[in-house]
Amino acid sequence: MGAVELTLRGRASLVLQREIGRLLGPIWIPIVAFLVRVAFGWRFADLQTTRETYKRLRSASSSPLLICANHLTMVDSALIAVALGGPGWYIGRFASLPWNTPARESFASTWYSKALVYLMKCIPVSRGGDRREIGEVLSRISWLLSVGETALIFPEGGRSRTTRVDTAAVTYGVGRIVRAVPDCRVLCVYLRGEHQADYTTLPQRGDRFHVSLRSLEPKTTKRGLRASLDISQQILSQLEEMENEYFDDRK
Amino acid sequence: MTEDDALERVVKILTPHVRNEEALANVSAETNILDDLKVNSARLVDVVLAFEDEFDIEIPDEDVDSVNTVGDCVKLIVGKAN
Repeated sequence: MGAVELTLRGRASLVLQREIGRLLGPIWIPIVAFLVRVAFGWRFADLQTTRETYKRLRSASSSPLLICANHLTMVDSALIAVALGGPGWYIGRFASLPWNTPARESFASTWYSKALVYLMKCIPVSRGGDRREIGEVLSRISWLLSVGETALIFPEGGRSRTTRVDTAAVTYGVGRIVRAVPDCRVLCVYLRGEHQADYTTLPQRGDRFHVSLRSLEPKTTKRGLRASLDISQQILSQLEEMENEYFDDRK
Repeated sequence: MTEDDALERVVKILTPHVRNEEALANVSAETNILDDLKVNSARLVDVVLAFEDEFDIEIPDEDVDSVNTVGDCVKLIVGKAN
């Protein structure tokens, strides 16, 4: 592994999507931030520290950065994006706003939802769908990382039904991306609302979120699929450790 | 290794992950692993790793993308093993 392969057509379509999203960014980015922070009243502990840490990571190195997070609710991607940067910063540094791979069934089933996710740097994927389609999505994400964009992936592949990081649910896709992108760094993000006790679609209105960040450069001596799986497992173990720290701090 | 031999061993490996016993009883090369046999997509990796061990082959990430049906598995394995 090591080279990112994507057809010229695939690259052109991503560049077009990014530019349309960027042009309309001054409209939709503040709207998303407004929905998260005002309409739903979701708040973040140590927001400035989190944003400064992410800014520092982005400016400290030009190496590709893949964001990997635990997954509890359907709006985790938006919450993480808002936690990592403010609207003004994202409009000026559009590459720092992460791409996402939402489930097509949930987020891109109608023409207007398709248009919205297109605008919002999303590449919908059918969960458990055709392997070639999933492979194509992974290649797209890998290419985006290699040209300086960031992407957010949930290594568990879906929302945790137990509300705890499920290391048994590891998917190999994350490891595959890391292996495909030379010098790829991983930013592990652990996000949890104070009232998130059960499996829910949305966090409780007005909930306060704790966000912790940890950099990781996973390495493996394994080969093939086992190497991808090993890297994915390292990332999930890191998220599990961050989760344990979160609960230890609250004892 | 013949395709029939590989098919028999592939079905044996798939069996513990299958959630649709009826489809398993009528399994053929055209049987889709996820849609027909209802194997959990997250477990497909375990299946492919089991193929690697069983047939002493290495399956690159990209080749996993071509695995949709039982026949795809057989072709991939026979191609690697021979």
